[in-house]
Parts: sequence; C-alpha cells; structure tokens
Amino acid sequence: MKARAEALPTQEMLINMGPQHPSTHGVLRVILRTDGEVVVNARPDVGYLHRALEKIGERVTYAQYMPFTDRLDYLAAMNCNAAWAWTVEKLAGIEVPERAEYIRVIVCELNRIASHLIAFGSFTADMGAFTPFLYAIRERERINDLFEDICGNRLTYNYVRIGGVSADLPDRFLEKTKEFLDYFAPKVPEYNNLISYNKIFVHRLANVAAVTPEDAVGYGLTGPNLRGSGVPFDLRKNEPYSVYPEFDFDVCVGTGERGTLGDCFDRYMVRINEMKESVRIVRQAIEQIPEGPVMAKVPRMFKPPVGEVYFRAENPRGETGIYLISDGTVNPYRLKIRAPSFVTMGIFEKITKGLMIADVVAVIGSFDIILPEIDR
Amino acid sequence: MMESLAISLVNAVPVLSGVPLWTITLLIMVMVAAVVLTFALTYSGLATYVERKVAGDIQARVGPNRVGPVGILQFLADGIKLLLKEDIIPAKADRFLFVLAPYLVFVGSFAAFVVVPFGVGLIASDLNIGIYYVMAITSLVVVGVMLAGWSSNNKWALLGGMRAAAQIVSYEIPVGMALLPAVLIAGSLSLQDIVRSQGGLFGIFGWNLFHNPFTFLSFFLYYVAALAETNRTPFDIPEAESELVSGYHVEYSGIRFAFFFLAEYGDMFVVSALATACFLGGWHVPFLDAEALPALWGNLFSLGVFLGKTLSLVVLMMWIRWTLPRLRVDQLMRVAWKYLVPLTFFNLLGVSLWLLLFHGKGIPQMIASLFG
Amino acid sequence: MGLKDYLYDIWEAVATTAKGMRITARYGVDPRETITLQYPEERWEPSERFRGFLYNDIKTCTSCTMCVRVCPVDCISLESVRGADKKMVLASYDIDIGRCMYCGLCVEVCPPKSLKHTSGYEKASVDRGELILHFIHEDAGEIKARVAKQVAEAAAKAEAEKAKAESEKPEAEMAKDGDPDSRAAQKDAPPPAGGNPEGGGAAEKKPGEEKE
Repeated sequence: MKARAEALPTQEMLINMGPQHPSTHGVLRVILRTDGEVVVNARPDVGYLHRALEKIGERVTYAQYMPFTDRLDYLAAMNCNAAWAWTVEKLAGIEVPERAEYIRVIVCELNRIASHLIAFGSFTADMGAFTPFLYAIRERERINDLFEDICGNRLTYNYVRIGGVSADLPDRFLEKTKEFLDYFAPKVPEYNNLISYNKIFVHRLANVAAVTPEDAVGYGLTGPNLRGSGVPFDLRKNEPYSVYPEFDFDVCVGTGERGTLGDCFDRYMVRINEMKESVRIVRQAIEQIPEGPVMAKVPRMFKPPVGEVYFRAENPRGETGIYLISDGTVNPYRLKIRAPSFVTMGIFEKITKGLMIADVVAVIGSFDIILPEIDR
Repeated sequence: MMESLAISLVNAVPVLSGVPLWTITLLIMVMVAAVVLTFALTYSGLATYVERKVAGDIQARVGPNRVGPVGILQFLADGIKLLLKEDIIPAKADRFLFVLAPYLVFVGSFAAFVVVPFGVGLIASDLNIGIYYVMAITSLVVVGVMLAGWSSNNKWALLGGMRAAAQIVSYEIPVGMALLPAVLIAGSLSLQDIVRSQGGLFGIFGWNLFHNPFTFLSFFLYYVAALAETNRTPFDIPEAESELVSGYHVEYSGIRFAFFFLAEYGDMFVVSALATACFLGGWHVPFLDAEALPALWGNLFSLGVFLGKTLSLVVLMMWIRWTLPRLRVDQLMRVAWKYLVPLTFFNLLGVSLWLLLFHGKGIPQMIASLFG
Repeated sequence: MGLKDYLYDIWEAVATTAKGMRITARYGVDPRETITLQYPEERWEPSERFRGFLYNDIKTCTSCTMCVRVCPVDCISLESVRGADKKMVLASYDIDIGRCMYCGLCVEVCPPKSLKHTSGYEKASVDRGELILHFIHEDAGEIKARVAKQVAEAAAKAEAEKAKAESEKPEAEMAKDGDPDSRAAQKDAPPPAGGNPEGGGAAEKKPGEEKE
C-alpha cells in the first residue's frame, strides 16, 4: 500500500476558506492545506476586520469609548459594556449603586443567553440543520425586544455607563423578563430533542477536535471552550466581581458524555447548559433586586487617577480582559483588550490537523468565535 | 405502444392513411414527450415553491407570499430572473464541459420521467426494462455533476464533484438492491407491471409494502438510499453550503444553475415515484379499482392517486431536509457500506427465500386465504 | 461491534430523527407559531426609548456644542455665530446619519434637551449626501451674513446711542456705560434662532465663529 502511494504521489491542495465563507462566522480566512478531504494543515489568518479599537480608545474619553465596546463582541454587547464600566470603576474606585449592579447582571445574563443562542443556532446551521437557527433567532428577538425597552437599541446597546447604567429599568421590565424566562426555559429541552441528541449531530461532533484539559489551560482557552474540556473555571465563581457572589448557580463543564472529554460536543453542551444557568441567575436577580439610584456621582469631565488596572469579566465567549493605563487625563493612555476569541484561535491549527474539511467547520462553530473580537 | 397508438389513430382517421406510419408514430412520441416535459417542469417549479413554503412553516416563518395568491407564482418570477441573469463562465473554466454539465444533469433527471407509471394507461413509454432504465439514465446525473465540479476550475466545486461521484456511485447499489424485491414479486422490470402486481386485496394489502416484513423494511431502506441518491439533506454533502459553499454548482449562475436546481427536484420526483410504484401500490387505492372505471375517469383517478402518493413522499423529503443536520463524508460512506448495502442484501435474500418458501404469497394473501 | 450495538445504532438514528421531526412538524402545522411580521403592511411599534434618527429642535437648541464634543464618531457638525444679543445663532446643524452609530450619548448630554431620538428607522438612499440631515435649511453663509449685518447694525445703533449718551451725560459716568445697555438689549431680544433680533445693542462687532 505504502509503495503504491509513493508510486502515485498526490498533490496537496491549498484552499482558501474565507474570508467570504458561510461558516467562518465572519471574515476569518483559514488557509487549508488538504490531502483530498483530509486537512493537513489549517492556518487561520485573522485581521480582515481590524478597526483599531484599542487605538481609538486612546483618542476618545472614557465615557465615549462605551459605544466602541459594543463593537467588540456585538453578540454580547452588554457584557462588553459592563466589562469596560467595571474596568474604569476599578481604576477610579467608583462605588456603584447596588441596583445598578443588579441591572447589569440581569442584562449581562440575558445577553449571555442571546449570545449562546446565536452560537447554538449558527453551529447547527454549520452542521447543515438550518431550522434550529431560526428558532434560536426567534428567541433572541425577544431578548432584543427587552433590550430595546431598556436602552432603545437592539444590537449595540451602549446601556451601561461608568458609575451605573444610563437609565433605570422601564415599567414592567421585570415582569416582561419573567415572562420571557418562563417562555424560554422549556425551549432548551426542546432544542435538545430537536437536534442536540440527534444521532447525526452527535456523530458529527463527538470525538472531533478534542482539547485536553492541559492543552486548554496551556493555550489560554477561556469560557465555555475551557469548561468544555472539563476545567471548572468560571470568573463569576473563581474571581467574583459585581454581585455575582449573591447568586446560586453551577459552573457547567464538559463531561465527555458522547465521546472524549473536550470534543466539539462537550463545548456545545456547555453552552446549552449555561443558558439554563443564566436563566437561574436572572430569576434570582429579579427576586433580589433592590430599589435605589442607578447612577453614581461621576463628574462630567471624568479624569481617573494615574495608574493602571486589569479587569477580567466572564463573557459569553470567555474571559474578556481589559488592561488600561491612565495618565490622569480625560483619555486613556493605553488600552489593551484580551479578546477570548483571539486567544482561542491559537489552538486552532493544532487541533485541526488530520480532521476533515467538514470538521473544520465544526471546530470553528464549537469555539463560537466572533471576528470583530478577534481582529478588534 | 406508440406504434399501436398510431395504428389505431390511422384506423380512426382515414385521412391519415396516406401518411407513412413512422411519421405519425414520431409525432405522437414528440407530443407525449412534450407533455411529460411540461408536466415535469411545472412540477419542479411548483416543488421549489412548496419546498420554500414547507421550510417557512417549519421554521415559524411564512415563506414566499408576495407573487400571486399566497405566493404561488414565485417560481415563475424566480425562473424569469434566472433566465435574464448574466450567464457567467469563469475565465479558466473548461468551457465545453462547463456548458455541457447542466444538460447532462437535466437530461439524466428528466429522462426518467418517461417510464413513470402515472396512471392506468398514462405512461409515456412502458419499457419492459423500466427500473433498469431509470437506474441507468439517472446515472447520467453523476457524470454531469462530476463534470460541473471539474470544469468549474474551482477547488470547492471540485471537492463537491468528487463527493457527489463517490456518494452517488455508492448509493446506486443499495437503491438497486432495495428495489429488487418489488421486481422479484412482480416478475417484471416494467414499472407498470410492478404496479399491476400490487392490485387486489382491498387495494392496500396488495401493496408490496405489506407483502412481507422484508419488503416493508426494503421500502425504508430504499427511501434512505434514495435521499442520498438525490443529494438531499442529510446526505447533501456534494452541495453542503456551509462547508463547500455550494459544492459543484458554485460557479454556475443564471439558467445553468436553474438546470441543476430543477434537476434536483426532478430527481426527487423520480425516486418518490419509484418508491410509490414499487412499494406503495402505484395508482392502486383501497376499495376502488381504477382499471374497472371508464378509461378517461380511470386514468384521471389513477393519476391523482399516483401523484398524491408521490408528492407526499416528496414533501416528506422536504420535511426531513428541514429537520436533520448533514452527515460527514466518511460517515456517509459508512452509512452506505456498513448499513444500507448489507441490509439491502439481507433483505433481498429474505424476500427471495420468502417467495421460494411461500410460493410468492405475501402475508395479507395468506391471511385472506385462511378466511377463504 | 456486536449485532446488538449495530441494531441499537440504527434504532437510535431512527428514534432521534423521529423525535426531531415531530418537533418540526408541530411548528409546521401550528399556524400560531408563525412569528413573521409582514413588514411594510405590519409594523412593529418601536419602544419608548427607541434610538432612531436624531432630531434637533433648533428652536430650543442653544448651540452649546456639547453634542459635538461628546459624539465619538464626529457625525454632528454645528456652526454658530454670536448674534447681536450675544446669544449664539445656529448657522447650520447637520447630522450625518450614515456615520451615526445611535449610541445616544449626545441626547444624554444635551442641556436644553433639544436633541432627541425619533422613532424613525427607515431611510435608504442612493447618495450618501442624502444621509446628512440638515436641520437648518437656510444657507449657512446667508445666516452668517444676516447675523453679521444685524450685529453691525446693533453696534452702529449702540455706537449712536453711546455718542448720544456721551453728549448728554456728564463725563464721569462714561466708564459704566456699556453694561446697562447690553443688559437691556438682552431683555428685548427675541430668541436667537427665531430670526430677526431687531433692537438691542452689543459692543462687539465681529460675529463669533464656531466655538471650537
């Protein structure tokens, strides 16, 4: 067999997957070297969506940078808003009213559900089942409706402010949120019946691109991708910020239930289960939310003290870390954002070796990368 | 058949006796072909509309509803749009093969309509090798698809073409093997004979589906294999829009693309029609014998029954498509060679033994004979 | 793989497929599950806080340029001149909604609350120029010229009054002269954007340019 293979040398094929490809979730370009259908090497080429968001941070004020964080991870704009606010508040030592923190947690967790819904939907669409995607979009629309009530926008919210939130909750918001949660909670088992445990779907994902816990930690994976490998690390638990310690929720980890630990299916299931946990957190937050102001006193010409700060928040895609240096003026001196999707791309080349082309799509989907965050 | 028709026509209209018989036969053939092709195209167009409606319903949407009443003319609008679109041929494509490929696919799919037994007397050509002909002519599709993939000079298209070739060649075997039980029972390859063999016994129990457990299984095996044969989800890996962009027809646009598109729906009809004819009793329906009716009504009635059964199977295909994800290429091969091929062979063996042991009688027949 | 696993595999595939198909069928046949809004006929009601196109009520706008300064993408451009009554007169107020990212920061900082989000969200144009909303339809040059003229007139009047006062009043009161004049003028003056501030006097002759 081997001798014949040498006698008939085959050429490797170089394929450009992207930047315009339906399942690279944006403008990711993967340079595939394949031997027929088998991937010899898959090298991600990022940077097609670079907008210099970090550099922009140096020329706008702290408050003005808030809308730009919307564009960081547009599927979880609330989380990015809040991460920026928490960073600046940590730097300047601003006490945020408790109600504002509760509101932030509610919107962050709702946005986590929305983001995971998109992850779930687009992943199933990548796997060839288009219908769950539309169901996911339908549920997400209701979250968008809630966010429209609360801040007026449906995608780039710009709701959180340094020192609080821009406006108190509108009338009936909490009731509407409860209604949504009651509506949404039974949908998750329905998704599981519809697709998660479908034989074909399981076979497409199980044992594909398994990341060992050591590799996951070593390559700096965070969020659901890390937990999918069975490492129970969640910043909301392990390095609690805001009012997260007040809530009772579980950290979802991959168990390797259908294949090996850390395969695509585990990462997928972590997201499905995290939606349930987020529902729990929002329910508790609605119960416990106190009355009071929603905005701390922050001077209009906000000038934080000279210094530097690193804050990390558990975003739907992992740990969003913001490193900020202030020189005491109205603009940040230097801003660096640790984008979870960008770090995740580091392991891509390693785990896609020897997979098939269809699996590369599965890997991209299971990592739930988002390009504006990778390229910033 | 055409010749006898021509003879009877000449007998009925004496004016035509001066014309050579072969001209009349040819004319009748052309007319029948035109009728079948018109039907096939209309069906394909409407099927694209139905597919979109089904998808819309399943996905909690509405689907096309703007062109004509409830959007039923959408396919005409789309067809006109595709006709008027610029015909793009990539600069480095193999022009001849690129142009040829859609026709091969189209012909391969629509030529099979000729032997579909639409009704008691409604069959364009009752070939005595009907099933064999369908299997052979639909293989043209794979040639066309491969040519399309190759000639586009696009690596995604090439991958799609290669996948299609591997897939269709693999699935020809279980498709053929799953159809053979019906042939064995009828003792004929002609589709009309196969349908006729399923009459009697209140119309429904004569169906091959209920003949014996093996034929029952055979229907489902055939249906699954046929799904793969037509490149439908969950076996649509040659197209696989989320992996290969859209596979072998990625470089096609305009009317050339429309040919591929229509051929897919034509294929769906053909395989569903085969399933109907071979397992679901063709135009047989419980408690009513279409052959006993007057010729016109019998034909119309049997046409309706046949179309009803076939189109239900087509809709089922759509329903499956909008539910299931897609298999990977190696899993697809595994399904074919590890599951479908052994099972269909096992079935064929089972049916043969059954026919041998029980002298060709099915279970319903045996039960009927018990009660006299 | 034993026969049992083999058969179980097939069974599982069939069962899970059937389960999924039951769900899709339910959505397929249940008309209540359709959530599509037939857009041009049916419209969804934007919520109260909806951030649509920006609208500036120029009657109440004080040309304070807070919005211009806070806008992160510089989509608001404002020109104003100092009017005869020392208040700023808007010469032009343009918002490029092609650049605007609807963050709402400008609305939040607006002191007289003249800048608002409307519920408008439909605009398509073939020309980018159409995406610039002009809130003052007059030509900026004309307004400037008019205001400059008014300022000049007012100054001339003031000058005349001053000369008159000088001639009437004793020389000792000359130093306090400017203040009461201008105060009186401010009381008389109609709102700046309203058009023609006729009376009143101001000491300055030069129209103030845009603040920043």
